[in-house]
Amino acid sequence: MDTHAASPITKYELGELLLEIGTLLMVSGANTERIKVTIDRIASAFGCFTNLMVTNHALTLTLTHQDSRKAFTSVKWIPSHHLNFNLIADISAMSWRIVLEKWSVERINHELATLNRKQLYPRWLVLTLVALAGASFCRLFGGNATEMVAVFVASFCGLYVRQEAIKMKFNFYLSIFFAATTASLIAGFYFHFNPDEVYMHAFSTSVLFLIPGVPMIHAVSDLMDGNTLNGIIRAVNVLLMAFGIACGLLVSLLIYKF
Amino acid sequence: MDILTLLEKGFWLGCAALGFAVLFNAPKRALMMVFIIGALGGLVKIVMVSKGIWLVFSVFSGATLIGFLSVLAAHNRKAPPMIFAIPAVIPMIPGFFAYKAMVGIIELTATKDPQAYSKLFFETVNNGLSAWFVVLALGTGVAIPMLITRRQTVKRLNADDNLEVESE
Repeated sequence: MDTHAASPITKYELGELLLEIGTLLMVSGANTERIKVTIDRIASAFGCFTNLMVTNHALTLTLTHQDSRKAFTSVKWIPSHHLNFNLIADISAMSWRIVLEKWSVERINHELATLNRKQLYPRWLVLTLVALAGASFCRLFGGNATEMVAVFVASFCGLYVRQEAIKMKFNFYLSIFFAATTASLIAGFYFHFNPDEVYMHAFSTSVLFLIPGVPMIHAVSDLMDGNTLNGIIRAVNVLLMAFGIACGLLVSLLIYKF
Repeated sequence: MDILTLLEKGFWLGCAALGFAVLFNAPKRALMMVFIIGALGGLVKIVMVSKGIWLVFSVFSGATLIGFLSVLAAHNRKAPPMIFAIPAVIPMIPGFFAYKAMVGIIELTATKDPQAYSKLFFETVNNGLSAWFVVLALGTGVAIPMLITRRQTVKRLNADDNLEVESE
């Protein structure tokens, strides 16, 4: 074990670094156990021990080293979540290399700065593929070609509205409501003027691109891992998002009087 | 169900999983795997439901398969299993039940007639419970393979006897 790890300055830097990594993981959509394991793994490479409290909006970390009595403790706020699985995969791979290749704090900081935090895919591709996913849902629920086209257009516009609303810093749930309203209005438009066709499939699947799948799965996995509080927070979050979607649908139902 | 219908359904299941993988910004090396895993897991559920097996159990089986395949894919493609598992299970999320339950709850507040209320209440509770249990089945189905295969991932580089004393 190299001796520099024990010095208070390094411990301060390491603590800040670990909080930064934990924040990035939480924002990108990792579950609580993964954050704990990754931070523990990196700290163990420096011979340090961590006590970490993970909540949805803040991380608290206490870092101790067996040779010294001084501890590093700090709280870091987590900004609003923005899913990025690529970043999670990169950080996970990096954490292993840190342990195996015995990186220094400077090296980790340098690598962390070079990680790709941007979207891998161009915006039009994301919009098209998510719209295609919506159309696939429609097909799986028994829709025909007309309904699939309606859902494709609806999901495309709905996701565009959500991206724009989040860019304009609207409330998160409000932007989901906007997106659900847009999508269901567009999906219902064609069927409003052709009342003899079945609207049900297109209408109910047009908002499925908004389903909060990541917090839904993480709520269950956090509860199973014993991180009960985080699991409950995520579950409540899912309910609020579902409520936003339902309100959007309701607006369209009232407008079109289906 | 003939093989062509299954292939078609598998294709749409894969497309749905792929769309969400791109939305979540999954790495490029994972996309093909997500398509295949999503299609296979969804097909297990569809076949089991068509054989008359309870929906929640079918979803659980599909999700468990997805969990196992994700763990294999994670070793193959060097990425955490959840990156494959989450987009792959999304086509199985009970959007329709949740939608019916949500609209049902809202309608319940506007219903006064006892006869209509009890019918609506019955349907809403049924749909809501179905959605809830399908989500539970998805979550546990995906988590179980990862819990079984989870190895000791934290490699301590030096012995930490004193810490163990403290933590007890």
